[in-house]
This record gives sequence, structure tokens and C-alpha cells, in this order.
Amino acid sequence: MITIDGSEGEGGGQVLRYACALSLLTGEPFTIENIRGGREKPGLMRQHVTAIEAACVIGGAECSGLAVGSNSISFRPGRITPGDYHFAVGTAGSTALVLQTVMVPLMLADAPSRLVLEGGTHAMAAPPFEFIERTLLSVINRMGPTVTARLVRHGFFPRGGGRVEIDIAPAPLRAIECVERGALRRVSATAIIAGVPFDVGDRELKTAAKTLADWPADAFGIRQLPADQGPGNALLLEAEFDHVTEVMSAFGKIGIPAERLAKTAARRIAGYLACEAFAGPYLQDQLLLPFAMARGGSFSTVKLSQHTLTAAALVERFLGAGFRFVERPDGAIMVEWAGS
Amino acid sequence: MIVSFIINLYKNDMKPLTVLGFLGSTLDAGKFDAGRWNKWRPSVSICMQEDLRVDRFILLHGSHHRRLAEIVAKDIADVSPETAVVPHTLDFDDAWDFEEVYGKLLDFARGFPFDPDAEDYLIHITTGTHVAQICLFLLTEARYLPGRLLQTQPQRGAPQPVGIWNSIDLDLSRYDSIATRFAEASAESASFLKSGIETRNPAFNRMIEEIEQVAVRSRAPILLMGPTGAGKSQLARKVYELKKLRHQLGGPFVEVNCATLKGDSATSALFGHRKGAFTGAAQDRPGLLKSADKGLLFLDEIGELGLDEQAMILRAIEEGRFLPVGSDSETRSDFQLIAGTNRDLVEQVRKGRFRDDLFARLNLWTFSLPGLAERREDIAPNLDYELERFAEREGSRVTFNKEARERYLAFAEGHDAKWQGNFRDLAASVTRMATLNTTGRIDVGAVDLEIKRLGTTWHTDKSEADVFDRILGRDQLAEIDPFDRVQLAFVVKTCRACRSLSEAGRQLFAASRELRTSTNDADRLRKYLARFNLTWTDLQQPVGGYR
Repeated sequence: MITIDGSEGEGGGQVLRYACALSLLTGEPFTIENIRGGREKPGLMRQHVTAIEAACVIGGAECSGLAVGSNSISFRPGRITPGDYHFAVGTAGSTALVLQTVMVPLMLADAPSRLVLEGGTHAMAAPPFEFIERTLLSVINRMGPTVTARLVRHGFFPRGGGRVEIDIAPAPLRAIECVERGALRRVSATAIIAGVPFDVGDRELKTAAKTLADWPADAFGIRQLPADQGPGNALLLEAEFDHVTEVMSAFGKIGIPAERLAKTAARRIAGYLACEAFAGPYLQDQLLLPFAMARGGSFSTVKLSQHTLTAAALVERFLGAGFRFVERPDGAIMVEWAGS
Repeated sequence: MIVSFIINLYKNDMKPLTVLGFLGSTLDAGKFDAGRWNKWRPSVSICMQEDLRVDRFILLHGSHHRRLAEIVAKDIADVSPETAVVPHTLDFDDAWDFEEVYGKLLDFARGFPFDPDAEDYLIHITTGTHVAQICLFLLTEARYLPGRLLQTQPQRGAPQPVGIWNSIDLDLSRYDSIATRFAEASAESASFLKSGIETRNPAFNRMIEEIEQVAVRSRAPILLMGPTGAGKSQLARKVYELKKLRHQLGGPFVEVNCATLKGDSATSALFGHRKGAFTGAAQDRPGLLKSADKGLLFLDEIGELGLDEQAMILRAIEEGRFLPVGSDSETRSDFQLIAGTNRDLVEQVRKGRFRDDLFARLNLWTFSLPGLAERREDIAPNLDYELERFAEREGSRVTFNKEARERYLAFAEGHDAKWQGNFRDLAASVTRMATLNTTGRIDVGAVDLEIKRLGTTWHTDKSEADVFDRILGRDQLAEIDPFDRVQLAFVVKTCRACRSLSEAGRQLFAASRELRTSTNDADRLRKYLARFNLTWTDLQQPVGGYR
């Protein structure tokens, strides 16, 4: 039984999701206390409960203390059962975060699975669908399993109601090297708008173009969704290289000017473009779990995030082996499986 | 293996939560376009809270708001797939009519299969007319709706749809700071009922706490039982003052000793009369019950009341109406009743002297006030209280010296002190000592005199025994069987009360006289006395001492 202090490290929902996935994969039960201890509203929120419930359902697990507001749970994993699953997240909670909890266990199962996830697809504090599809899954699919994602309907904050369908064809994970990103093939800036004025998308693109002055004019475009999927607005900035695609995003919110969020997102993609690393700040912690289960491989990345450090510590506790982080002369970090 | 799950079927540790609330015909409405999501809509916002998981939402709405209810239910499904919305049609002719709204909500609450052991309930009071909100509040407070109240409000600053929520548990004992204040207030009221006397008798203190709770929470009659002087009247007055402080009573305190009411004048005194109802009824008289309107009526010695008056009192308590003497229309009076008695009312009911229906009505809150002899540990604090009262009344402060106080308390708390008149005796005793004192300080001598005086008051039985002792002498008394002693004592007592041997004989052998089995009673008595070496003359000598 592993005991985790939920307020340590990143101290939020990520610890819960990572611990559930690792527990299902290793068969090791765990207890987590002081869940989200330092947050304004401590304890489990609805979307965390849903993610843990999803882990329980696919993994035959038992979890005591699972309730909204709970500060402590005990998770006892069972047998992973592939199949058709339908999970719906309230409060526009992210479908990507539920996927993060169950995907790796299911892609190592003995049969395919199909997931229908409902909730937020383009909401704050979580990667947008495009990041999952183009950035994360393209790396995963090079490791052996085949995971495909389809966006059926967008789900924005606060409404949610989006729908994503995922097919998972399991296969053993093989260790891969993701050191070079290769040549830049294509860039694009897309402002998605649903039920909000066209002008919002327009201003976002104009602002982004100021920072991304060398991007061709035809890279910028507005995508207008049916108003009944809204209200919603997202700005997606995408850079496709030979070996990796990075997606940076920003989500419209009442009270935050379109210009400000567009400027932030544009600076982030520009920062990624300016460096040599393979994985951007949001991909790095998502790669730790599959690389750890592959028991090998390495990737280069930008400055390590708190999420990544927390995930690396959890991997070591569950597997008794971990990653080594080495800084390259160009400033990028090499993340290598170090074994035990 | 293909398995399909719906997430909310997974069993977890949460008690399912049901929200019950009105559809807000204004607040929950909005244009049916994307813009409605930028607006705070209370019913939808409940289901958008990340720290509140609603499993079921009973959405009350009128028939003409069915369309809006459907839109709201659909929007809730988007933001909260965990929630099953159950629309429930509830139509009001006038949603601002308290009687109608309360009645219909009460019917709804009674008919709803609540299961508080298996489910939690939140009663949303932000939507609906103010009358509906008040009714929901009242029904929740009365526990017809077994849940907590739920309040929602928009967030300050930029418009956003989620808003904030908080729940209110009307069980005030769950709030530490409030509970502490209640306990303090309750202790203050109890102390008030005891006139600030720090009584130590646990049974008495517990009884006062109960009376405090009953006094504050109930308007039902209270029955105070206990011997004369146990403090019934004082307690009734204190209950009145407490209720007046709490704004529960506006009228006066009316006290009447039923033992002083006799016959027709009793009816008239209690229930009033019309001018000319009987000879001497020169004016209208409202009567004591009418005088006590909106106040408190203390009927002391209620056991002394005639059966007719008892019946009228019962009707007055139950219906607040009674018929004054000589009047053909009833009078109304709304009073709280406290009844006092030193009789055993159960016994009185058995003998047919007290109406059983009135007793049943009075016997809801019955308290037995113990006499002072059963509360000896409370004598010291009451002694201080009486000295204080004397000082207030007479304007001069009198105190015991240490030795005198100890001597007095040793006697007062001991078993020789009978305290037959209870607090009345104690008050009188203190008044005597304080009044006879000229120095402002009660000394041992004054205490000894007072102890003697109290002895005289209580020990009449004992003085008879003393006479008996002196007449016979200790040695001879020791030779008499207790069986004979009782008979002899009675004979001696009778003889001493009579003027001649013959008179005593007639009294003592009254039954035999009737049957004419004996005619010479005097001789018979003389012979009886002779068996104990006693003569008529022996019995007539003064014995001194107490008489």
C-alpha cells in the first residue's frame, strides 16, 4: 500500500489521475490523503470524482472515501477490462483528463476498447482535443498501440456538452527515442468561434499575427461552429514538424480581452519554435507514463514543469524505477528512462 | 469482452443528493441562444458547481412554464450529466397567496416519498415568489421537508453563469457559536427563574432547566405542584417575566388563589358578569380571565375550584372563550395558564372532586416543587437571598456574624428543622432576626432565640409528647409497651382538653354509649388511668414549657 500526500508537488487533480493509472497498471493499491490540500476549495471536485470513477470502472477497482469534497481516498485496483465505455464529465470538466486516467491502462489490455467521452473538449486548465489528437497520440502510436480520436462535437466552458470518441487498439509498448523534432513543415492559427461575435476571432488572429510575424497570411483562419454548440471560443496555434506537432491554445472567457489571451498563446508557440526540444511543456508529463511502461526510451524537452516532477516522483514510487533528467548544452532537458 | 457502463451507475461513497426547488420564471429564463450561457440562472447554476454533485433535481413549475422547464432541464443535462431532472407541475392561482402556496407545498411535502436515511436533500430558496420562499423555509424548519436550505447567488464582478452556493442547516445546534450562545441564554433564563439564587439541589436545578425550556417554547398550560410556601407563586411570576422579556407575552400577570373564591362570587370573579346579572352587580365586571388577556393567569390552589368553574376554565383554555355571568355572548381571552396545587390532584380526580378532563389538560407539563426540607443544600443560598431582600425592602443591611451563621445553618440544614411552611418559614425567620436586631449584625444569641421560636412553630406534636413524658416520668414510661403508649397518649391528650372526667369519658367511649353497652364512662376511664397509676388530678396539673 502506497501512501501519498495529495498536497505535495503539483498538489492538484493530476496526482490523483496519475496515481490511479499507475495503480491499475501495477496492481499496487494506494491511499491518498490531504487531497488538493493547498487549493482554495480542497478535496475532490466533481470532475476528479468522475475521473476516479472511470478508473474504477475500467479497472474493476474499489475506492473508499470517493465523494465530492472528500480529502482522502483508498484505491484498490482490480482487473483491467477492455470494452465499450461511456463517461460523461460535468461542469465542462475536461474529457482529456478522463482520457489521461484510463488510456494507458486500456492500451495495454488484451483487447480493443472504444470510449465515448462527454464534457469539455476546449476548456481551461486542460489540453484541447487537437493537442490530444495531433501531439500526444502521434507519439503514442509510434510506440505500438493504435489510438485514434474523433471530435464529434465541441464542448466549451461553461456549458460542456462536447463529445469525443476514442478507439484503442492495444499493443506492447516499445521504447522510442524522441530527441529531434525535424524540419518545420507547416504552421496554422485557427480561431474557433461558436455563438460569439465573429469579431472576437478576428481580433485574436490579428493579435497573434503581430507576434508570429513570419507566419504566412494563409496560415490564419477563423472556424465558425454552429451557434448551438456555444458559446465558445478557442485559439489554436499549431506547428507541425517532421517528428512532432505542437499545439498551443487559449480559451475565450468573459472579462478577458481577446487580445490578451491571443498574445499569451502566441508567445508560447513562439517560445517553442525558438528552441530545439522535442516535447513542449504540456507534452512532457503526458509522455512519462507510456515511457515508464515501455521501461525505456528518451525525449528532449523544455524546462520541466511541476506536473512533470510530480509525475516522475509517482512513477518511482509505483515502479521502483524512474527517469533521469540531463540538461543539454542548448538548454533543453533530456528525459531518459534510468531503470532501477 | 464488451461491457457498457454509464458513469453514474458506479457505486461510490456519496449519499445521493436531491435538490428541490422552483423553476425561476424570471431568473432561469433567457433568450434561447448561446447568450443564455453567459447569464446566471440559479437552477442551472446549482448544477454547474464543481463542489456540488446533484443526483436528482425536482424542478417545481407551473403548467404555463413547461417549455422553460424543458430548456432548463436540457441545459442541466449538458453541464451535469450526473443529474436527473424531474419536472413537477405545481400550479397556483395566486403564487403570492400565502395560504394557498403553503397548503399546496404542504400537500406536496406530505406526498413526496422522502427517505432522509438514504438521500440528502437541499431545498433551493432563491427562486419562486417571496411567498413561495417563505413557505419552503417554514416547511423546512418544521421538517416537513427534511433537508438543508440551499441559497444561490451570482458572483460579484464580471457576469458569469456559475455563481456561488451555500447551504444552511436550520438545526441551529450544529453551529458551535450559536449553540454556545443558546446555552448561555438558557443558563441566564434558568438563573432568572431562580431569581439569581445559586441553588445546588440537582433535582431542583434540572427541573428549573426543564421549566425554562417549556416556558420559552410552549404556550401550553403548566401545572406546579408542591406544598405551601415551596415557591409556586414566585416561580409562576418569574415564568411570566421571562416570557415577557422574550416578547412572548404582552398582557399582565394575574394571580388568584382559588381557595379565596367561593360560590357565585367565584364564577363572577373569574369570568366576570354583566351589569344587573344578580343583586349587587351594579357594574360590568370583566373578570380575572379577561384581565389576563394576552398575559399569564396563575390559578393557585386550583384543586379548591368548584366543578362548574373547572368546566368553564377548561373551555377557556381550549377555545379561549367563556360566558360571563348574566351575559348571552361569549367573551374571548387569550392567556397562558399556570396552575398551582398543594393537593394530590390524582386523588381529587378519583374522589370526583376534580374534573378528569381538566386534569388531563393541565397534566402536560407538570412540575413538583420540592419543599425546603428536601432541598437542604439550597438553604444557604436562599438565606443570603432573603437577607438581600430584607435589605432592599427595609433599606438596612443586616448580616450574620460567622459563628451565628454557622449555628443557624447547622440547625436549618439539620433534620430537626421541619420547614413546614417552606420558603415562607425561612423568609419569616430571616425577617424576625433582622427586625429584632438593632446592631445590623445577627449574633449567636439571636440565632438561638430564633431556633427556639421555629421549634415552637413546628413542634406542636412534640410538645404533646413532652407533656406525656412529664406526667408519667421517664422510668414509668419505659415500662409501658409501645402498643399501650399510643392509646394512653391519646387518652391523656383528651383528658387535658376536657373540663371533667365525665366529659372525657363521653368522648372516649362515644361508640359504646351509642350501643348502650356502658353507661358509666367516667368510671371506666378512671379504671383505665389507674392501671398506669394516674388520677384525673395528675392530668390536670400544669406542666410548663411549651403550650
